[in-house]
Amino acid sequence: MSLPAHLSLILDLSPVPWTALSHSTPPLSLRAFLAQALVFLNAHLALRNENSVSVFGALPGRSVGLYPPPGRGHGHGRRQAGGEEEGSGGGDENTFHVFGQADEGLMSRVEEEVAGLEEVEEDTPPALVGALTKSLCYINRLSNPPPPLNPTNAAPAPPHARIVLFSVSQDASMAYIPFMNCIFSAQKLKVPIDVCKLDDSEVIFLHQASHLTGGAFVHIDQREALLQYLSMCFLSETETRKTLAVPTQDKVDFRAACFCHKEIVDIGYVCSVCLSIFCTPVAQCSTCHTKFSPDTLLRFGGSATNGHSNGTTA
Amino acid sequence: MPPRRDAEFIVSDGSEPEDDDLDEDYVASRAARARKGKGKGKELAGDSRKAQDQSYAWEASYKRSWDTVQEDEAGSLQAAVQDLVARSKRRRLLGGDAPIRRTIIRHMMLLMDLSTAMLDRDMRPSRFDLTLSYAREFVGEWFDQNPLGQMGVVGMRNGVGERIGEMSGNPQEVLKCFADKTKLEPAGEPSLQNSIEMARASMSHLPTHSSREILILFGSLTTVDPGNIHDTVDACLRDQIRISIVSLSAEMKICRDMCERTGGVFGVALNEGHYKDLLFELVPPPAEKSSASHLAAKAAANESELMQMGFPTRLPSTAPPSLCVCHSRLRSEGYICPRCNSKVCDVPTDCDICGLMIVSSPHLARSYHHLFPAPAYKAIVELDGSEAPTCHGCSQPFPTAARDRNLVPEEGMSPFGRYRCPKCKHDFDAECDMFVHDVLHVCPGCG
Repeated sequence: MSLPAHLSLILDLSPVPWTALSHSTPPLSLRAFLAQALVFLNAHLALRNENSVSVFGALPGRSVGLYPPPGRGHGHGRRQAGGEEEGSGGGDENTFHVFGQADEGLMSRVEEEVAGLEEVEEDTPPALVGALTKSLCYINRLSNPPPPLNPTNAAPAPPHARIVLFSVSQDASMAYIPFMNCIFSAQKLKVPIDVCKLDDSEVIFLHQASHLTGGAFVHIDQREALLQYLSMCFLSETETRKTLAVPTQDKVDFRAACFCHKEIVDIGYVCSVCLSIFCTPVAQCSTCHTKFSPDTLLRFGGSATNGHSNGTTA
Repeated sequence: MPPRRDAEFIVSDGSEPEDDDLDEDYVASRAARARKGKGKGKELAGDSRKAQDQSYAWEASYKRSWDTVQEDEAGSLQAAVQDLVARSKRRRLLGGDAPIRRTIIRHMMLLMDLSTAMLDRDMRPSRFDLTLSYAREFVGEWFDQNPLGQMGVVGMRNGVGERIGEMSGNPQEVLKCFADKTKLEPAGEPSLQNSIEMARASMSHLPTHSSREILILFGSLTTVDPGNIHDTVDACLRDQIRISIVSLSAEMKICRDMCERTGGVFGVALNEGHYKDLLFELVPPPAEKSSASHLAAKAAANESELMQMGFPTRLPSTAPPSLCVCHSRLRSEGYICPRCNSKVCDVPTDCDICGLMIVSSPHLARSYHHLFPAPAYKAIVELDGSEAPTCHGCSQPFPTAARDRNLVPEEGMSPFGRYRCPKCKHDFDAECDMFVHDVLHVCPGCG
């Protein structure tokens, strides 16, 4: 018997790329995207009674939890929801109350947050790292439930969790180190990060994220078929994926950019104290101000200007 | 001389008069025994007690540990036990956050005692089996935290040092050393000197910017050495090798001396759990030796260096298969050395052809959290009414009322379960606080 699954969605809600997307061909507006994402969420919830979801949004400069509503119990939302759903679920008797609850709650929260955006915020990059860390905290909470007060009740087994990240903007502006820390934490929690790329911008970090955590990477070519992509590539849970061919990205760039010119380097020079990367041998580390010995610089080829001047003075 | 009554000695006041009497009897008899034992003079006994030199467990003052546990209204101990567990977890977190320079590139030789003393069953299932399983866990965790490190394994048995695994940067290869238990069957006497000399020889060529460490898992109380072990310690000191020892039986003078002189850590495992704690304390990279040490002045000149590293191109699984230079095996996946274009199976490693250190950028990034840690959260002791109702990380609601326990604020515990980031001023609960600082290393509010 497999374990229940938890699905954590991370939505990039930056207004500028979404505006661009809704005017591109084929167009994909935020509303149309959310409608398809909700069908995907409902499909996940319908797969198994114990399945749960959480949704986090990355807005310019800050991140928010969109679903479940704050203060609601973890993972057991649907069990506790029984009494409340009449009030919040919109009262449609033909809808499975969990679906109704998720749909209504998510849509209203997204509208609320997007409406609250101010003009000035639009240039700042989306806080994907914040959303990712919150999602990981939530998953960590699920996998380490507080011990039950009544010891006779066995704690329910923690669910298999996975993260699906919808990206619409390029990731170059993202803070590299915090993002990598998120990837390593996901690795440790055994949480695959699936990346669904909706626009055509370059995302080196997200390539690395899906590769290192063993998740899928899909670039949506035909946006009108988004739901098809979602249900074919991202709906399968971690256990099932072992027997499936999950689309991944083969060309993962693992080269690093030097700290001095931000150029991608093949062979770099690394400070032994702070691991800063330089494209040419330098006499002093620009990050931690460590002075390197002149012998080393000479060894790496005295032709470099920095090495030369240092060699003559020493 | 009246018996000393300190605060922690007698916890309850008046409620249990019989107990108090018992305690006083105990103190008096203890003091009397101490005087009798010292024998030479009363001032000596007084001095020693004033100094409170409590380096051994049996010299520590008598604590009524059961009094710190209190039942709740329902008469259950569960909440109290949970509280104690949470406290012990937090204690680990409360390390100072002063900036220290850590050695990121580490080289460690793991010296395992394989003498007959390891067959003792005072630790379950036996010292040997327990050491093997902990060593496996240790290696995994060590490479996770020190992706650029290298580790080798030496065994001590029959009076000689035995090379079990060469220095390697690949955790799988190190784990392979522990795979075959029959090859590691304990026998004979251990020799500290022989094995340390062997470990020292295999590390003598290493560059100065990397750390050289020896970790000894020692079960025996004896060592058979061919010469003067103090010379070996001097040689280690000269080579800047740091020796740490986890002893499974008891403290030996030579072991403690060795660790103290070389700047390592010495610990005696009390039980299985403590053994693991001692071992895993050695996983995070150590702080570099302070400049006050007499050797550092000499070493400071060339301690830090620029290293040449290659960032390889990864071949996908669909690439045409070719032979790798490390195992001569036909595989399609691999990494291409940027300098000599030879193909290696796994990174990080040193290229077998040109000797270039090959790493991928995630390996470097994995070490960055030691250099840029998340800010330590402060425990919130008082509420002013403007706090967020839920944890900023996991959206779990905070308890509104303080727990009615005699919490000690110095311990860094918040009675409301709230811990606040000094930078972004968001509140987190204890579980998220632990997760952020142990695993994530990014504050969800600042990120």
